[in-house]
Amino acid sequence: MNLTILTKELKKGVSITERVTGKNLTLPILDNVLIEALSNFLKISATDLELGVQWWGMCKTEKEGKITIPAKLLGQITGSLSDEKVNIKEKGNTLVLEGKNYKTQIKGFTADEFPIIPSFSKDVFIEIDARKIKDGLMSVVDMVSLSQIKPEISGVYFLFEKDLVRLVATDSFRLSEKVITFSNKQGYKNMFKERVSFILPQRAAKELINIVSDEEKTLRIYFSESQVLFETFLSTVNHPEINLISRQIEGEYPSYQEIIPREGKTKITVNKEEFLRQIKTAGIFGGRTNEVVLKIAAKEKEVEIFSQDADVGEANLNIPAKIEGSSLKVSFNWKFLIDGLTTIKSSEILFEFQGDDGPAAIRPIGDASYLYVVMPIKL
Amino acid sequence: MDLENLWQSVLAQIQLNISPANFATWFANTKILSLENDTVIVSVSNSFSKEWLEQKYGKDILKILHSTDENIKNISFVVDPKKTKKTMGGKKSVNKEDVLTEQLGFKELEVNKETNLNPRYVFENFIVGPFNEMAFAAAMAVVEEPGKNYNPLFVYGGVGLGKTHLVQAVGNKIKEDAPEKRVKYLPAEKMISIIINSIKNHNVEELKKNLRELDVLIVDDIQFIAGKDKTQEEFFHTFNSLYQKNKQIILSSDRHPSTIPAITERLKSRFKGGMIADISSPDFETRAAILKQKAEEKNVDLPKDILDFMANNIQRNIRELESALNRLIIFKKANNKSPSLEDAKKLLKTIIVSPSKITNSKKIIQSVTEFYDIPNGNMFFVSRKKEFSRPRQVAMFLLKKELKLSYSEIGRKFGGKDHTTVIHACQLIEKTAEEDEKTHQEIELILQRVYSN
Repeated sequence: MNLTILTKELKKGVSITERVTGKNLTLPILDNVLIEALSNFLKISATDLELGVQWWGMCKTEKEGKITIPAKLLGQITGSLSDEKVNIKEKGNTLVLEGKNYKTQIKGFTADEFPIIPSFSKDVFIEIDARKIKDGLMSVVDMVSLSQIKPEISGVYFLFEKDLVRLVATDSFRLSEKVITFSNKQGYKNMFKERVSFILPQRAAKELINIVSDEEKTLRIYFSESQVLFETFLSTVNHPEINLISRQIEGEYPSYQEIIPREGKTKITVNKEEFLRQIKTAGIFGGRTNEVVLKIAAKEKEVEIFSQDADVGEANLNIPAKIEGSSLKVSFNWKFLIDGLTTIKSSEILFEFQGDDGPAAIRPIGDASYLYVVMPIKL
Repeated sequence: MDLENLWQSVLAQIQLNISPANFATWFANTKILSLENDTVIVSVSNSFSKEWLEQKYGKDILKILHSTDENIKNISFVVDPKKTKKTMGGKKSVNKEDVLTEQLGFKELEVNKETNLNPRYVFENFIVGPFNEMAFAAAMAVVEEPGKNYNPLFVYGGVGLGKTHLVQAVGNKIKEDAPEKRVKYLPAEKMISIIINSIKNHNVEELKKNLRELDVLIVDDIQFIAGKDKTQEEFFHTFNSLYQKNKQIILSSDRHPSTIPAITERLKSRFKGGMIADISSPDFETRAAILKQKAEEKNVDLPKDILDFMANNIQRNIRELESALNRLIIFKKANNKSPSLEDAKKLLKTIIVSPSKITNSKKIIQSVTEFYDIPNGNMFFVSRKKEFSRPRQVAMFLLKKELKLSYSEIGRKFGGKDHTTVIHACQLIEKTAEEDEKTHQEIELILQRVYSN
């Protein structure tokens, strides 16, 4: 192998792939990245056998070849490079990085031991606006269940319909749904006749958020029997830049539509920022159970927020609100409220309740695409 | 040589040539799925293993297979992720602190998507006492041989006594014993909405097919199909088709089939064709046992005298027992100490004393009209038709008995009837209620409606 590449490019490739590797005691090869010199491209791959990532960067290749190198070492070294360009060579099982006034040699292993990242048939795919998927994922990814007891909710549910995409996550206490609509098929091309859906592990979803940069335009999604592949493209030439391969979570996503409550019996409209601030303050006295109480009196103009901890103290707060429907006293885990509120961008929210033991829904005003449903705490 | 042995011999030889870590990573959860003609199909747990085995070990594996069985010429790998699935279950260890408040979850997620059953309802936490032992015995007989013993099994009893628990437990148990059986649990309201939707979307045939392919159909609160003619018709045909094929049908209702109003005779007679089992109110011992178990489930300790006090004084239904228990738990949380018997008496005063006295004539009349499914207002018409006159008499009787209204006042409420008419009605109903178990049941059920919620 012998190639020359822009240092900036190499750094980018290493930082993207390095994240997927980790300490793996049973199979040390997984702590490595695979470096391949192809014609015109440097390719770096990493996997932990659940998730795989491949990155391509343009380079000037004089001799093709491949080697595996400990990811952490490579990251440390590229991190300190300052030259504009870097030359990469391979000698036996050693990788040589060379610039104007430095030369480093990293001991590596033969590439044969590196796992093979599953390949996909790329005939049929979904092409979609990368930014919209990224933003949508960011607003739901934290509500995924961390427990493995119900594996099918330990990931984000993607549902591709004719001209809209639904992203859903729930941990059985709360649920968030983001609907991305595409008018006139702008930014969305679905080559499948039927509805397509899959459940993506949370880690893969977070990785996807990470690899989609702010300038990214399109994202392509391919499927195989139990895997899914996300692909972004180089801006300069028509060639993939990053492939993220993940397993799909086996199983059927619960029929979550049934959870979403119809119109609430009590409704309040409040300023989001102020509500968020008040809930945070009340949270200080939430105690072990994280409980804050909302007291809503019909025909009043304020909602009372109350929390109490025997050892710490208590908080009584008020927030101006437009109240509709019947009076209600209901408790929530304040952390759950914060999680929902922080993902909302609108200045006002509508909070709808179904009594003190039914699901409550938070909706941003003026934005029908997002919905957050949360269950109360029952005394 | 069977498939398992064949694969073992492959593993045994491969293992010699590669490192234990590699072997554990790539060959864990692999097995031969099938051997057809000259091709062996091997299942692996994920796509990475598939690629690796195909490309790195495919030839070696085939060589070994070929040397044991000359006919084998090809090998292919498929991903079968189910093999890696973790086994469910195991009791969660609950932290005592956390139990004092309960973060509610979405109930819909617990429900099994295919059967619609909630896995929480099982026989292990179903308490049997004299009040429900017949229903329980019938249920067990059904579990043993679904479709043979009692078909349909019809369970009835008042609110909050465990009908839903019992019928769902039957479904769960049948499914557990024979996972291949198709079991479906439908609350009647859901069944109605499914049928209406299928009519709207023009796929009634598909729905019929789905329902008629079941092995066990459980419909909860069947009394709600009263007055829903189209649903009754569809249900009638489904019922017949399942019954003829000896498929088990389980129904629950808040009253005896013959007292469900506004359902066709042909359905009524079918409901009565199998086993009818009732669940009445639990006796003291059973109430105490239920309380003890609920307290254990919630992981709280309460002194025995308090539990006995509750069991003694809250007699109507199990749901009320639970809400009483919750009150004590809140007290415990707020004050950081166990309530004394005096505290408990004070806390539970509202549950124990008030409801039996808080009602009004409007509520009683409403409950009666609802129970007999009479259009609003018809009861007040001067009509001698039995379908109106009897509910009217029952309503008069209840107004007298529960509210102690004067005869003439009751008469005025019913369009100025003479007080002697009212006296006659009250005496008549009182007498029949004593002699006839069916009337007695009706009165009890109406009273339950009056005092529930």
